[in-house]
Amino acid sequence: MNKLTKAKFTLREALYLGFCATFIILARVLLRLKLNVPGHAMFFVMFFILLGRGCVPKMGAASLVGLIAGVLSTLMGLGKGPLLILKFICPGLVVDLGAAFYPRLTSSYVGCIIVGGIASFTRFAAFFLIERFMGMETGIIWQKAILDSTLTVIFGCLGSAMVPAVVRRLKANKLIS
Amino acid sequence: MHRKSGGIGHAYQFRSADSAMHHLPAAGKLTLWFFLSIGAIISRDPWALGVLLLLNGATYYLSRLKPIDFFQDIRFFLIQMAIVVGLYMIRQGVDGFFIGMRISIQILLFFLPGAIFLRTTPSSQLMRGLRRILPFSIAFAILTSFRFVPYFAREFHEIALIQRLRGARVALRQCFNPFNWQDIFSCIMIPLIIRAIKTANESALSAEARGFGGQVPRRVENNHLVQ
Repeated sequence: MNKLTKAKFTLREALYLGFCATFIILARVLLRLKLNVPGHAMFFVMFFILLGRGCVPKMGAASLVGLIAGVLSTLMGLGKGPLLILKFICPGLVVDLGAAFYPRLTSSYVGCIIVGGIASFTRFAAFFLIERFMGMETGIIWQKAILDSTLTVIFGCLGSAMVPAVVRRLKANKLIS
Repeated sequence: MHRKSGGIGHAYQFRSADSAMHHLPAAGKLTLWFFLSIGAIISRDPWALGVLLLLNGATYYLSRLKPIDFFQDIRFFLIQMAIVVGLYMIRQGVDGFFIGMRISIQILLFFLPGAIFLRTTPSSQLMRGLRRILPFSIAFAILTSFRFVPYFAREFHEIALIQRLRGARVALRQCFNPFNWQDIFSCIMIPLIIRAIKTANESALSAEARGFGGQVPRRVENNHLVQ
């Protein structure tokens, strides 16, 4: 990891990451009215989290998008309370971790799809913890997670697969460096 | 974007009313939420869960929330309940029904106080609380993002309208067809992302001109968004 990726965010970078989170919220608001396919929201969540990391290649960029999206969702009453923040931060952390190991993550289709799939699955981290506290059997928790997450992971992978093309296009037009 | 006053709205969305819960300070509501949620974790007996259910019901009543609000808030958990009970019954037969129901009700009771908190606490009050918890720069980014939600919603509609007039297949019905996704990305997402980069640059410049840069050091050489 070089000095550049460790650097703090400039104001415009922080604002841009905030706007990526805004787009996640907009997509949730617009789609929840029209579409009733479970897990569809993950398409845009993963797309904008990875895009944020692609445009601002610094450690913590994806987590910041997740944090802001979680807080905004809570403020707008779009989910089940502040635990929702965890459901956005976990995918962000996975993306940051993936990018730390493979810096060219957002330019690679395979990398984006793999990390997107894993990150989508972590949305169940909050539920996993709660259900474990309630005394639910681990086997049933995993079965339920797989039942619930199949479509979410598929949508997450699809959203992630869109990122390299957009990042390359933005770089080609010198909108990001 | 925003629910009309008196409309049905969505689950967990703030509902304006003149109730005891609405007048309670956020700290008081958080304390109530904390104890009710902890109660849901430690309760195992049916009578304890029944008492907690009654307490949550009473809080809903005191908040002057309508039965439709309650139904919207628990709708997701009813689906989860069916899945959990079904999985337990597959494993343990009829006995699994009671265990599955107990766990499902516990999960519902864990989340319900949070729903009441969000239903009775306006965004402005939540944001005031956030400013005390989070670092100033992150709180600023969150508040700015919140303020820009309507702006980007307008931008999105305008870009979509213009592109549809140009013949792009970006109408809502056409979004379901995967063959149109190329158009959606090229004609809506790319302009929207470019708009976001430009707006971030302008807003940052404006904030720095007002002296905001005092807390966040300027690192022009490290800036990845081209100005």
